[in-house]
Amino acid sequence: MAGGEKKRHPLSLWPGWYATLTYVAMVAALWCIFVYAPTEKAQGIVQRIFYFHVSSAMTMFVAFFVVFVASIIYLWKHADWWDQTAMSAAELGVLFCTLVLITGPIWGRPIWGVWWTWDPTLTLTLVLWLIYVAYLMLRADATDPRRARFAAVLGIVGFIDVPLIRWSIEKWRNLHPEPVVVQSGGTTGLPPAMMLTFLVSLAAFLLLFVFLLRQRMAVARRRHELEVLRHKVDEALFG
Amino acid sequence: MKNFWYLFSAYTIIWTALWAYVVYLSQANRALKQDIEALRAQLDNAIAANDASKKGSV
Amino acid sequence: MSVNGAFVRQAGAILAKDLKTEWRAREIFTSMFVFTVLVVVVFQFTIGSNPALIREVAAGVLWVALLFATVIGLQRAVQMEGEEDCLQGVLLAVQDRSALFLAKALANMIYLLVVSGCILPLFALWFRVDLTASLPALGVILALGIVGLSVLGTLFSLIVLNIRMREVMLPLLFLPVSVPLLIASVYATGDLIDGKTLADLRDYVILITVFDVVFLVLAVLIFDYVVEE
Repeated sequence: MAGGEKKRHPLSLWPGWYATLTYVAMVAALWCIFVYAPTEKAQGIVQRIFYFHVSSAMTMFVAFFVVFVASIIYLWKHADWWDQTAMSAAELGVLFCTLVLITGPIWGRPIWGVWWTWDPTLTLTLVLWLIYVAYLMLRADATDPRRARFAAVLGIVGFIDVPLIRWSIEKWRNLHPEPVVVQSGGTTGLPPAMMLTFLVSLAAFLLLFVFLLRQRMAVARRRHELEVLRHKVDEALFG
Repeated sequence: MKNFWYLFSAYTIIWTALWAYVVYLSQANRALKQDIEALRAQLDNAIAANDASKKGSV
Repeated sequence: MSVNGAFVRQAGAILAKDLKTEWRAREIFTSMFVFTVLVVVVFQFTIGSNPALIREVAAGVLWVALLFATVIGLQRAVQMEGEEDCLQGVLLAVQDRSALFLAKALANMIYLLVVSGCILPLFALWFRVDLTASLPALGVILALGIVGLSVLGTLFSLIVLNIRMREVMLPLLFLPVSVPLLIASVYATGDLIDGKTLADLRDYVILITVFDVVFLVLAVLIFDYVVEE
């Protein structure tokens, strides 16, 4: 179509709008965290790390859950799309997991007085990081065409392992502050303004996760396309 | 503003990591786009050359 | 997946073949056993001579040794399959792929049980712990833990079979996922050394059993999908 104007499908405008929405949500979250939310009395301003720290942690679990579901469907249906979803979500999960592992100690240092404690939640996050980094290494290294299937097995095994790890570590040691978001009995331990701030942060992070997931999957799709093209060129030249 | 630097570094690290990841993604995307275009051109040339040699031999 | 006569026969045939090969060569057992002894001895050097400290870390050392022995044994088994490229042949021959998986896991279990049987006297001797009273309970914990180690390890070893960096990837995949099993087994064993009985360890026994059952069922369910052509 030389010089012809590209017809714009209404959906093609969506990525731009979506990016804008994510940006607005992130800025709103920052405004809530630094302007709207009151300073917590006991912990002081470092408590404000909580909003992004816990949002990252929840996004990480969402990411690993996506890996789990996509891996199951991939093993069942063998469609590339699901494999690309699992791989992209795993990479993002590791990214958010890394953020949790970095911001956790930064919050813990002034509160607990130490950079690291082997408390259940922090330890679980560390073990998850190790499992999913191994997943990414398996993806990066494998030369076997069945690597996607092997990675899917790890995606399933890793996620099923989560409650078991949690259970065993709780038996092992318990130092972490009680979960403050939802306490037993269904009442929330956070004052309303803090709760709202947390929910806005969480929404912003989930929007960001979906945005990054789409971008990462585009890269995965292109990589696949490139491999197919390489194969075709080889055939055309030498076949 | 006790512990200000902890708060500052936590948010700076998060933003830096996310920014770096987005840059990495867009660069990977751009490099892949270029590679794909180059390969497409190569493929077209190869097919054209094949056709030409077939015509020549007939 | 159906547990019928053919399934059991096939699994039994593969297991018998593996055990016969191993009986002749004794390669896997030797490397596992020597490695376990080595781990126990090396840990002795790093701990020092404080008897209370030695006693406290004894259970951990035993399980770390067994964990690494699993990796060593599986690596050797995978290497041998790779050298002879016989796994593909076996896969084509068996109708039910999970029979192959179960046979491999059982073989690893048997090696591990024999290794732990051989290492226990040395372990009791060097760590100066008296195991005679708690031997039956310790046997239960060891058997349950070894089932989990073998099932998970075998699944991962068959996954990394065709991977270039398989020697490195097997422990990288296997160690973090086996954390719950390791924690429960170590603390159960530690309690037994401290003179507690099996009844005190209910939580640990449940945890290890759940781990074993979950991964055994999962492995059997998905193994067909993993190796199908």
